[in-house]
Amino acid sequence: MSSTLEALSTDLADAVERAGRSVVAIHARRRIPASGILWRDGLVVAADHTVQKEDDVRITLADGETRASVAGRDPSTDLCILRLADGAHGEPATVGRGALRVGQLVLALGRPGAAVTASLGVVSAVGPEWRTWRGGRIDRFVRLDLAIHDGFSGGPLVDAGGRVVGLGTSGLARAAALAVPAATVDRVVDQLLAGGGRLRAGYLGIATQPVRIPEGVRQRLTPVDGRVPEVGLLLVAVEPGGPAERAGVLLGDLLVALDGEPTEDPRDVLALLGPDAVGRELPAVIVRAGAPTALTIAVAEHPGRS
Amino acid sequence: MSLLSITELQGDLAAVGAALRAVTVVVRNGGARDGGRTDAGGHGSGIVWTADGTIVTNAHVARSPAPTVVLADGRVLRARLVARDPRRDLAVLRIAPEALDGVPLPRAVIGAPRALRPGELVVALGHPFGVAHALSVGVVHAAPGAWPPAATGASPYVCADIRLLPGNSGGPLADARGRVVGVNSMVVGGLGVAISADEVRRLLAALARRDGRRAA
Repeated sequence: MSSTLEALSTDLADAVERAGRSVVAIHARRRIPASGILWRDGLVVAADHTVQKEDDVRITLADGETRASVAGRDPSTDLCILRLADGAHGEPATVGRGALRVGQLVLALGRPGAAVTASLGVVSAVGPEWRTWRGGRIDRFVRLDLAIHDGFSGGPLVDAGGRVVGLGTSGLARAAALAVPAATVDRVVDQLLAGGGRLRAGYLGIATQPVRIPEGVRQRLTPVDGRVPEVGLLLVAVEPGGPAERAGVLLGDLLVALDGEPTEDPRDVLALLGPDAVGRELPAVIVRAGAPTALTIAVAEHPGRS
Repeated sequence: MSLLSITELQGDLAAVGAALRAVTVVVRNGGARDGGRTDAGGHGSGIVWTADGTIVTNAHVARSPAPTVVLADGRVLRARLVARDPRRDLAVLRIAPEALDGVPLPRAVIGAPRALRPGELVVALGHPFGVAHALSVGVVHAAPGAWPPAATGASPYVCADIRLLPGNSGGPLADARGRVVGVNSMVVGGLGVAISADEVRRLLAALARRDGRRAA
């Protein structure tokens, strides 16, 4: 009874065997070790919330053990990178960077101990770029229909060909298995390496509160991105000497646009303050005493973000 | 992968399901006199291991000395509990030869649990919450001996990423060819855990030695 079912079964086991060589166990928390992926030579990517130690972290590879140190963390995307003590070791993952499709089979691999574990599921939803609850940018929203077992977080999501298409995490949403797509892992790894272990974040030195813009004021606004915004951000704090104050912003001003985008939610501002924003000059529209005014704010680097 | 046909896949799965169905029984602790309807000790599943009426199930399923077995063809037969090993969670039942009229039962094809690879497809058949002959599909979660994670290589379990429910207990876990690799026993942290078919072989061998000594 040699069958299609057997062929699929063999393909899946082959995919696990192939991708499993780059899955490591990270002993940096109590009880069960977490999983990680050997992403580049000597560099492991893991889920940040599972790595509760900085140095002398024990790593179980497919073919032995080594030590590693945390080389960077981005809690906003729940990613952490660790550098292996003895340099290149083992075989980095083969990363699949194609688009994920709803219904596609995925295997979640882990190494919650010495051996590789596997679970089978499907991609259940794919959406556009989104922001995590901690403000991190994830290139695609990818939700999985998959059971979460020990070792899921930090382990790879593997397609039927054994290519790693993302990193599994249970740290970004409650009760749902999400994937951080490979493109996001690539980008965050690059940014962490460039930023000395942390993601640079832009900084304006303001605190805001959304408020409805009075109709009389709206009539004096020029459309932003094709429409007149209904909500603006009231500046409830402006840091003395900070980038916004230096640009002439005052407490009580109403921010209605930044970099040509309407600002109707504090997250709209955060979205413009990613690692690449530092040093940029952003055009802003504020309303002061009912009159729209144009300003330019030079984005500084966030002083205290860890 | 593009060579796989979903229609063939479904057909193969149905064939494996049908083959397992033929060798999966309902085990009840009630008596045969009322057709096994007295359900005092609950019920689970069992596997027809030999054509002459050896049924393998879990120790936690077979709690009566004379359980009732409902075959896939609907026959309701009284069985005798001949071995119960709570440590391995295995039990062996025997149907009286006269009840079978010398007609051999369709029996399970036994596979090789030690050859299982993580990611490989597995199929379970059982009677979850009394739903007869329900099929579930999953994959091998950990290589043999690798579960639980602290195991040192002598683990008697086959661990699968598969959805099992009460009533699956005692039923078969099989590979993609329908060969039985384990006896579904418990759910641990959402994972289906089966007792390896090798453990059943060991138990049956010990039983044969015991019976041999008795005969001598």
